[in-house]
Amino acid sequence: MVPFRFLLILGGSLLVGSGVRAATPDKVVSALTATIDRHLAAAWEANKVQPAPPAGDAEFLRRVYLDLAGRIPSVAEARAFFDDKRPDKRQRLVEQLLEGPRYVTHFTNVWRSLLLPEAMSNFQTSFLAPGFESWLRAKLQQNTPYDAMVREIVTLPMDGQGRNPYAQMNGGPTPIAFYVAKDLKAENLAAAVSRLFLGVKIECAQCHNHPFAAWRRDQFWSFAAFFAGLQRQVNGDFVAANGERADRRELTIPGSERVVQAAFLDGIQPKWKYNTSARVTLAEWMTRRDNPYFARAAVNRLWGYFFGSGIIDPVDEMAGGEHEASHPALLDDLARQFAEHNFDLKLLIRAFTASRAYQLSSLATHKSQDDPRQFARMPLRGLSAEQLFDSIAQATGYREEPIPNPRFFGNPTTRSRFLTQFANASDKPTEVQTSILQALSLMNGPLTDLRYSETLQALVDAPFMDNTERIETIFLATLSRKPTPRELANMVGYLEKDGVSADKENYHRALADLFWVLLNSGEFFLNH
Amino acid sequence: MSRSSPSLSRREWLTLSAAGVVGYSVSGWLENLAAAAAKSPDRKRACILLWMAGGPSQMDTFDLKPGHANGGPYKEIATSVPGMKISEHLPKLAAHAKDMVLVRSMNTKEADHGRATYFLRTGRVPGGPIQYPPLGSFVSKELEHPDAELPGFVSIAPFRFLNTAAYSPGFLGPRYAPLIVGENANGFRPQQAEGDVAQALRVQDIDLPSDVNAKRSEARLQMLEEMEQEFLAQHSSIAAESHRTAYRRAVTMMRSSAVKAFNLDEEPPKLRDAYGRNLFGQGCLLARRLVERGVPFIEITLDGWDTHQQNFEQVKRLSSTLDPAWATLMTDLKDRGLLDSTLIVWMGEFGRTPRINGTGRDHWAAGWSTVLSGGGIKGGQVIGKTSADGTAIEDRKVEVADLLGTICLALGLDPRKQNQSNVGRPIRLVEPTAKPITEVVA
Repeated sequence: MVPFRFLLILGGSLLVGSGVRAATPDKVVSALTATIDRHLAAAWEANKVQPAPPAGDAEFLRRVYLDLAGRIPSVAEARAFFDDKRPDKRQRLVEQLLEGPRYVTHFTNVWRSLLLPEAMSNFQTSFLAPGFESWLRAKLQQNTPYDAMVREIVTLPMDGQGRNPYAQMNGGPTPIAFYVAKDLKAENLAAAVSRLFLGVKIECAQCHNHPFAAWRRDQFWSFAAFFAGLQRQVNGDFVAANGERADRRELTIPGSERVVQAAFLDGIQPKWKYNTSARVTLAEWMTRRDNPYFARAAVNRLWGYFFGSGIIDPVDEMAGGEHEASHPALLDDLARQFAEHNFDLKLLIRAFTASRAYQLSSLATHKSQDDPRQFARMPLRGLSAEQLFDSIAQATGYREEPIPNPRFFGNPTTRSRFLTQFANASDKPTEVQTSILQALSLMNGPLTDLRYSETLQALVDAPFMDNTERIETIFLATLSRKPTPRELANMVGYLEKDGVSADKENYHRALADLFWVLLNSGEFFLNH
Repeated sequence: MSRSSPSLSRREWLTLSAAGVVGYSVSGWLENLAAAAAKSPDRKRACILLWMAGGPSQMDTFDLKPGHANGGPYKEIATSVPGMKISEHLPKLAAHAKDMVLVRSMNTKEADHGRATYFLRTGRVPGGPIQYPPLGSFVSKELEHPDAELPGFVSIAPFRFLNTAAYSPGFLGPRYAPLIVGENANGFRPQQAEGDVAQALRVQDIDLPSDVNAKRSEARLQMLEEMEQEFLAQHSSIAAESHRTAYRRAVTMMRSSAVKAFNLDEEPPKLRDAYGRNLFGQGCLLARRLVERGVPFIEITLDGWDTHQQNFEQVKRLSSTLDPAWATLMTDLKDRGLLDSTLIVWMGEFGRTPRINGTGRDHWAAGWSTVLSGGGIKGGQVIGKTSADGTAIEDRKVEVADLLGTICLALGLDPRKQNQSNVGRPIRLVEPTAKPITEVVA
């Protein structure tokens, strides 16, 4: 334990020198974890909630791999974890995953789905998505503080983005796609920025005063005015950024004569700077440590990602009076710590995954756990299309040539077709729905056509394994756990009946059947 | 069992039933309820949407101006309805004019492909937080039989590229997602061998892999069911229930007789020739087969109408595909006694400019045409009128909501009916400001 901590501090100080942020110290992480545990336990006590039992190693292992690496663990990774006898092995696993390349890949997908949902439905955005992803990858690789990331997006200079939309498409890493996806329109950008970064779904007030919450139409358009300086140029079916008028701070509400000045959501009038884009002023206000929305929105959203629902849920609708926080003091504490420690996303991830609540089982053992706002049981969450594909590929040994832009229609690979078919970013993770075509694809499609599975072939060929070991291995490969005695008995029975094992081809088929069952189970399909 | 079995909360049940999951029977894999349902005497209506992707030119199809400079080279021909004239390149359709209503005064203001596609298909302009379902989703929800073996909304050879959200079920959830056939891995038209497109129109992944026979499949599904019961007994969740239900419906479909609808080789070659041996023509034949099996909403896409260049050559080519397919569909349905209960809608996302620009026409949303035909309408009428040069609507502007409201009425639906949306607000099938064209509703 001591050497590890020493390495962390040493590594941290080396990183500072190179311009990359040092990891937030361990003791801050522990304190934050304790805060989470304390607040939740107090609520359990007060509401007479009986939390679920602690998650076993298998549950924790699969969950944390999916959440941090975007895929299930391999058989070897699972065995290594189960055999590890160190008391802090879970914390070490988290560190290992956070420093690994899959963290960057996976969270690039997570943030891209969040920030650029139009990549699935708008063809110009899908052209620009690779540049956006490159940009995201770089930020995640450097563990760029969240406030800096958001500032980069909000203040992105529009000069030099070029008049030629094709030049934008072939450019390097840039978040310009965020703007293009919103059609470079002030109202779309205002709605997205407010919802994503401030947790305020103000867009309902675009046309009329918000029916349930306190937002008025003027407030929406005053916020949109920050983006009023953007100039767009339309070339046929493509839109391109064409500079920005730095002195624009107002706009006329469409369909009326009223002109509104740019104002922050809390009504405060900005202090303008000469010849500086309004967006810079906005970004400064947004990412101030004491901004009432920014840190809370980030914390709440990330909490929702790990725990299935936000402390205020839906995570997009935090302000305006409609929805209440389940643990207001906890949210305040988390937000404050997040802001004080350079908006370090990994700080939150470390604290969340070390908490008692994250390590609860998803087994339903008491009715009092049914209220999602108590976080007394880990809910079942759907996987993203990328997580699902990568997990199936991991389990079966499926491989194909990677291509630069899997989401663009013109590049058909099994993976790209799968990603299109299983896209579900708009669903809440605990409410992900499955369609018939998706079910057919999982049952009969190429990914689960196990004739070609390398994993299966290796298992059949391995002379040193008996039926029990082979079945154990397919369980570890898919569900990251060992079979129960009953499951084992049933499956061994299937392999041993009617002289199946005598013929190698029959045996292969029988084992393929068992493998298929596991791959198509709800237990495989979900994160639990 | 000492463990308390988890139940879904009330809110979860509401969400599930809103998404159409709960209505499904829960007694096992092999039940065949559809057999009983299919014999029901009060047969509901069906709708076929012929979707013309790209924006078809009204001036060269249903609203010609042969005397004017804007008119272009095509001639008008008379139809079986005196006074109703259409393009010379749609001769077979002309014989069906008594069963057609031309709407020449569509007024929609959206001339961008993506936005207009969404607008015409859902009845609402895109951009807000609400994910509106398209016509196929909300109509099939009203007309489907709850125990049907096939999904109620089938989309044949769609061109989703311009706006995929317009092809997703929106807040109605995956139960009302279209079953898509005739799209390849790219999301584009499949490259088909000349002539036979039957393979392209089959349901993707409906067949077991070639080395898995029915016996093995049965064994697999049996074992899977045992695992699922065990898992669901200890874990309650909308996501888990949805997964299980989707599998059941998929297996039902795989084993159903209704899925044989997709085997076009069962049809006599002469009939297949009459429809036209191309994706659209065979798609229309498939639509007839699906209507016979009780599928309430089928759309077939014919794309290529975005004729900024070579307008007249391209529209002639497209007309030669459209004409025999649509006309044969009408005749075929009539012969089987199904035309009276099947509404066939023809539309795209907008029309094209009256003024010719070079060799083509550009996008135009200020006065264009759609057609309603078949059952539920009083055919032989022309609604609306554009000016002699085609640039202005002189009579009876029809908005998107008016058209969709008319379609609802023709199908026996109440356009004011409400569904629960994804933001908690109830949303009517059609905007309440709609003024349906009641004089064409039967």
